[in-house]
Amino acid sequence: MTDVTLYHWEPNANSGKPMLALMEKGVPFVSHYIDMLQFDQHKPEYLAINPQGTIPAMTHGSHVLTESTAIMEYVNAEFAGPDLMPADAQDRWRVRWWMKFMDQWLGPSFSMIGWSVFVGPRVRERDPEELAAAIERIPLPERRAAWRKAINGDFSAEELAESRRRVALGVAKLEIELGKRDYVGSDQYSLADINIFNSTYSLPISQPGLASREATPNIMRWLKRVYEREAVQKTWAMGKTDLAARYSLVMEGIV
Amino acid sequence: MAQPILYHGEPNGASLTVLAALAETGLEIRCQRIDLLAGARHALPGVSEPLALDLGIEGEGPVLVSGGEAMTESVFLAQYLDELAGGCGLQPSDPFAHWDMLMWCRQITERLSPAAALLGNLAASQAVIAAIPEEHFAGVTASIVSDDLRARWQALHDGAVDAAQVADSEAKVAQAAARCEDRLADGREWLMGRFSIADLVTYSWLAGMELLRPEAFAETPLTRAWLARVAVRPCILAALAMASTPEPLKVWAPGPEINRWG
Repeated sequence: MTDVTLYHWEPNANSGKPMLALMEKGVPFVSHYIDMLQFDQHKPEYLAINPQGTIPAMTHGSHVLTESTAIMEYVNAEFAGPDLMPADAQDRWRVRWWMKFMDQWLGPSFSMIGWSVFVGPRVRERDPEELAAAIERIPLPERRAAWRKAINGDFSAEELAESRRRVALGVAKLEIELGKRDYVGSDQYSLADINIFNSTYSLPISQPGLASREATPNIMRWLKRVYEREAVQKTWAMGKTDLAARYSLVMEGIV
Repeated sequence: MAQPILYHGEPNGASLTVLAALAETGLEIRCQRIDLLAGARHALPGVSEPLALDLGIEGEGPVLVSGGEAMTESVFLAQYLDELAGGCGLQPSDPFAHWDMLMWCRQITERLSPAAALLGNLAASQAVIAAIPEEHFAGVTASIVSDDLRARWQALHDGAVDAAQVADSEAKVAQAAARCEDRLADGREWLMGRFSIADLVTYSWLAGMELLRPEAFAETPLTRAWLARVAVRPCILAALAMASTPEPLKVWAPGPEINRWG
């Protein structure tokens, strides 16, 4: 048994990335489920692990690691198992490029849409005073502002339109690129696939106008190939909400 | 197949990082300086795979065209050059130290770079871009594929100044100097202990700020001393020697986008 502990929410978006990387490498880990909708990530016991209050976080021995993509790179370099980075230097560059494109350009747009239709409405059902107190506990000012916006539903029509534009553009580019190579950025399954899959697997149900057998055959073929991996099946089984189960049904439809 | 060519601007910001990394590797790759403020980056020859150029996040950074593919993002180009050279020591081999370096570089490229680019461009590029004849400017903006990068060009052209963004950018420059100060507090010579891409990328965005906003460095003596140490590294000297202007650290081009949300 390795001394790895992962603090994560659902096998989705950022939390799903290190879960899937650890599973692919065959690294056993202690799972700590952090319920984002209950603000577990801003409670003192978690802030003692990661003072920034972001998820996921991973401990390995005395090391504490944060930021999902960087954690994945650590997991790949540190542990034995299949190499999740291609050997060719230009392929490696391309894998990194795609991960940054997702993490810093496309991801925030996916996230804004996700928060406006899912996280915001769910959280708004709660007691306003309790929510205000929860927001005050968020350590990073940027995250505090982001949560306040999501909870209050303060995204402007213009902001949401720009996010939708970016998602549509990013998905269209992904479709073209997946027509050139078997996987994202290279011909082998890599960290870029884990990264992009975690933010796009829901597209056929959440944005059927953008991703479908007819509109994006390359993306659908790739989603299916990734979905069928044993590590994905095992990781999704760790979900506690109906999120993963719901999308499993969609994937069954694709397969 | 055509030989790779590294297209770059004056050695400052993203171009400085990559030119210095190239000098450190000793690789022989042809370099060609282009006029970023004339829009030359959006009319490069020999590009059959333009995705990373069209939708790059870094703004007007250097472009390495290899096998027809436009490769961008200065940190990843530095990693690429290091790996192409068989590992010339710019990246730690220990996985945790490597994680630490990546986290540092991401802080710099996500927080400092957009801030430094905003301040630098207001000081140095706004007048140049505003002086571009209307007809030529329309041609430049038409050649820029990324909507958000085009918007940053347009804002400079229009002379738009957002006081809140300026204040936020000044705060971020001061925060970056303070972060360096914390890192260097244990007496280490370089940010990660050994000289690495973290030193290159941080110097590339901070050195020009020391000239433009010296007040941000008033209480960071360790950071000032570190900047002075990096400035005389052979790879930095080699990169700065490629300048066509006496003060390349005062030359800027539209940079990365300021975070939209969170």
